[in-house]
Amino acid sequence: MKKNKAQVFLSLILLVHAGNSVFAQEAVLRGVVTDRSNGIALPGANVQVLGTVKGSSCDIKGQYYVELPPGMYDIRVSMISYRTFTQKHVLLQPGQDYKLNVELEETPIEFDPIVVMAGKTKQRLDEAPVSITVVTARDMERRNPTNLIEALESAPGIHFIGDQINIRGSTGYTFGVGNKVLLLLDGVPVYASDTGQFNWDMLPPLDIEQIEVLKGAGSTLWGASALGGVVNVITKTPSEQGKLMFAWSGGWYDKPYYEEWEWSGQNKAHYNRFDASYSKRYGRLGVQLSVGSFKSTGYQELGDFDKYNLTSKIDYRFKNSIHWTVYSAFSFIDRGFFVQWKGPNDPYEVDETNLDNYAQTNQLTLYTKLAIPFSAKFAMNFRASLVRSLMGNQFGESDDFNPAIGQGLEGQANWIPHANHTISLGVQYQMDTGNTEYTGSHKGYFLGPYLQDEWKIKENLRSTLGVRYDRYQLVGGEKEDLFSPRFGINWQPWSTTAFRASVGSGFRAATIMERFLELSIMNFKIIKNEDLRSESSWAFDVGWRQYLTENWNTDVSLFDNEYKDLIEAHLDLIRGQIQFRNLEDVRIRGIEFTSNAAWPFVWLNREWKPGLQLSATAMDHEDLKWHEPLNYRPKLIGTVKVMMQTGNLEMQADYRYASRIEEVKIYPINERVPMKFVDIRFAYTYRSLKFQLGVNNLLQYNYAPMESNLMPPRTVTAGLQGVF
Amino acid sequence: MKLKRYIVFFLFGLVLLMWLSCDVDHGLAPLPGKLKATVVFRNEPPDDTEGIYLTVAPQFPPRAINMMYQSPNSLPIDQDTVVQEIDLPYGHYEAVSLWWYSNDTESNLADILAIPLDWTNQLLPRQFDITEDEPVFEITLYANWSKMDRDASVQGTIHFSDDFPTNTDITAIAAFSLIPENSLQYLTMMKAIDFSVGPESRNWNNKEKTFDYTLPVRHGSIQWIAVFWLPQHANLTEVQFISSYVDTTTGIPIRLSLGEDETITGADLYVNWADVPNAEFDDEEK
Repeated sequence: MKKNKAQVFLSLILLVHAGNSVFAQEAVLRGVVTDRSNGIALPGANVQVLGTVKGSSCDIKGQYYVELPPGMYDIRVSMISYRTFTQKHVLLQPGQDYKLNVELEETPIEFDPIVVMAGKTKQRLDEAPVSITVVTARDMERRNPTNLIEALESAPGIHFIGDQINIRGSTGYTFGVGNKVLLLLDGVPVYASDTGQFNWDMLPPLDIEQIEVLKGAGSTLWGASALGGVVNVITKTPSEQGKLMFAWSGGWYDKPYYEEWEWSGQNKAHYNRFDASYSKRYGRLGVQLSVGSFKSTGYQELGDFDKYNLTSKIDYRFKNSIHWTVYSAFSFIDRGFFVQWKGPNDPYEVDETNLDNYAQTNQLTLYTKLAIPFSAKFAMNFRASLVRSLMGNQFGESDDFNPAIGQGLEGQANWIPHANHTISLGVQYQMDTGNTEYTGSHKGYFLGPYLQDEWKIKENLRSTLGVRYDRYQLVGGEKEDLFSPRFGINWQPWSTTAFRASVGSGFRAATIMERFLELSIMNFKIIKNEDLRSESSWAFDVGWRQYLTENWNTDVSLFDNEYKDLIEAHLDLIRGQIQFRNLEDVRIRGIEFTSNAAWPFVWLNREWKPGLQLSATAMDHEDLKWHEPLNYRPKLIGTVKVMMQTGNLEMQADYRYASRIEEVKIYPINERVPMKFVDIRFAYTYRSLKFQLGVNNLLQYNYAPMESNLMPPRTVTAGLQGVF
Repeated sequence: MKLKRYIVFFLFGLVLLMWLSCDVDHGLAPLPGKLKATVVFRNEPPDDTEGIYLTVAPQFPPRAINMMYQSPNSLPIDQDTVVQEIDLPYGHYEAVSLWWYSNDTESNLADILAIPLDWTNQLLPRQFDITEDEPVFEITLYANWSKMDRDASVQGTIHFSDDFPTNTDITAIAAFSLIPENSLQYLTMMKAIDFSVGPESRNWNNKEKTFDYTLPVRHGSIQWIAVFWLPQHANLTEVQFISSYVDTTTGIPIRLSLGEDETITGADLYVNWADVPNAEFDDEEK
């Protein structure tokens, strides 16, 4: 019976869609996309018809094909590692077969990549009304990260404290519970539904196409938890031709800089990561399968782990451009938990009584999406998701934790009623459950309709206006109503200049762990706080992006994030009890500067491609009630990346800085220092193989972002990547 | 040939950076000093012992429990004598103490098992310095487990004039063997303390605005029972005394003497919030 209903539903969709096609005598836009320097076809290049919901990807021969109603269109062609190309005013007559061949220019730095974060539709970064950072596939390839943290840690405005991400100081450190940033996988929320924790090892880095980071509140479009920012990990689509990729990376940890710190396992401390992926399109069906293994002895006692990944992506392109995708990612982790060092003079060791602090964790992420373009001006998108996490046992008491289940549904319509308006209308539902001995069994759900209009007021002036209403209900508990409006504007008075301004709001309900956890760890006791309120924020952002030359841009952003009822861990200074509490009024404001430059030149009959990326974020963060700086947040973070490419040889050096953290929670008496890390890497490409050699933390800098936890010492790394 | 030159150039740069690394900032460094404490135990530990921790306070009294250096885990409790070391930076230290943690109750200030006093001034804890010339300081602590054996109890009711102030962080009731005259004696003379005084407790009667307490204590003399209040965001040194167990006619503290396994009841106290400085109330409540 169910099958029959599904068939009827699908038939209806296809019928409606077919009806749209029959009535118009459509034109065809087709062409070939090639590399300008060598004329080689670029399979996978993205062709977007602006002002419509239509587009295409190039096949194995670099060819694309789009059917469109007659009219005038702007066509945008983009591909990773290439400068985006836009052809304006392409006039399609009824029945016309229009050919547009495009040559893309390779660039060492992607100055204006295509992003989807700003408005849930594809958009050039220069046209976005909000501050966004993009970690491109090329950045990933250069850095050869072993997980998402390494992919993100050198991006502008981002700083990690332990495994908690801070976007412009958003989260601080809350003991792994309750991130104030939303993590998305292809637009689908993927946090653990009991802790709000992220699994940064949920997929192999090989699967990642691009990572986009929205800075500031983004709940209007992305819903709950988008309080201080949103990270969207975009996975690769199955390749047109059969593509086998593999990546191996290994690292050998140096012994501690100080003799006093030496420990028994230091001489064999190393890690190994191996990933392999195969993808291919079989006509309308595309399939991608990846496996990964990441093993490490750790650079400290209890730092050892075994991690495994298995991911798959299936997409099917029906006739009439209906697109169905199913993605699944399973990760299994068996690891030790280094809670705190044995002592300041034994920082790589733990107390003997903690040596059995191991736990197994796993996560299954599953989503399916159906995109139905009813016409060139109207499309519907549906998605359903499931995130099953057994991650709560970070406290090392694994027998008493049950899997946390997060289920999500979303329906969204994209409608272009007029050439200058793109309307996104949708409704999102999310149910989070958690059940452990230390919290009891709890459920909470969100239901939130949203509406956004992107209005192209003029060719160079765009605005975004959105609104969202959410009902949060803790089953058997309190309910909250949350209203999240948003406004943004982008003005490009000249082709080299873009101004942007936005104001938006975000919210996050307390996780089950923050509200209900009761647990003793060492000599600290965590006590529950059932009265915890949802936290909310207003984000104000003004930015100016300027191209000084075609290969050199700068971006300056002023931001002011005002938080209400911010949830932070509170330490009772007498009893040693930890409880999550609301801080009534908090402000984080500051200025962010980034600059990207590439100066290709020819010297000694050889083409040299140097590149430079600078970023600095200065923040003033304050608890407005007590006039104190917030915990675990530096006031200045910055990165310098220097790149050089000549022929098949590449070199990159990174410097990462964070000022000394002024306030911490547990051991304020411990010495604290700024972060100063230097990493270098060399890579050589030979045919389909890329060899890498590098050193992380070259200068053996000893840094503990949270008390009693040292970051890794100098690590010699090697890598080998291949594409066949 | 040219490629070789570039490789040599890069290797030279790498060696230069490695060389520079020998003379640059390396961040955190080992602590140069050390406290070496020999702990001598007497009698047997109570059954509800979770552990004992050695602490060193640069300031006495400490502003908070996390403003002390602490042994990372419990000292062994099954030995007569234990030697424990704590690494310390150079500096002046105003107290060393040994804290007992119970399985049954919250860690509390009455659970100081040992705190060596200054030889010349018994009103101060033993102080010491860690310097480049003398990086190791040795001390012996004598810990009598029987201090933690609370074989008697005092019961009573605290009568509050109204609801608790909105800026209340902690309210506690404590019993002392003597009326403390300085900050050290607040710790050394304390026989028991209960931090659970408040409307969240099941011992709270919201209609009567009363709290029924029971303080387990070691038998002997109790000369002072008092209620303390700490506003939000205050530190340990800002605890306020707000009431004590007194003769209501004379205002003089009532002394108690408890035998082994004896329970004394009716030790009632009265708190008038209007007399408490810094107490804040909702406008509506006022």
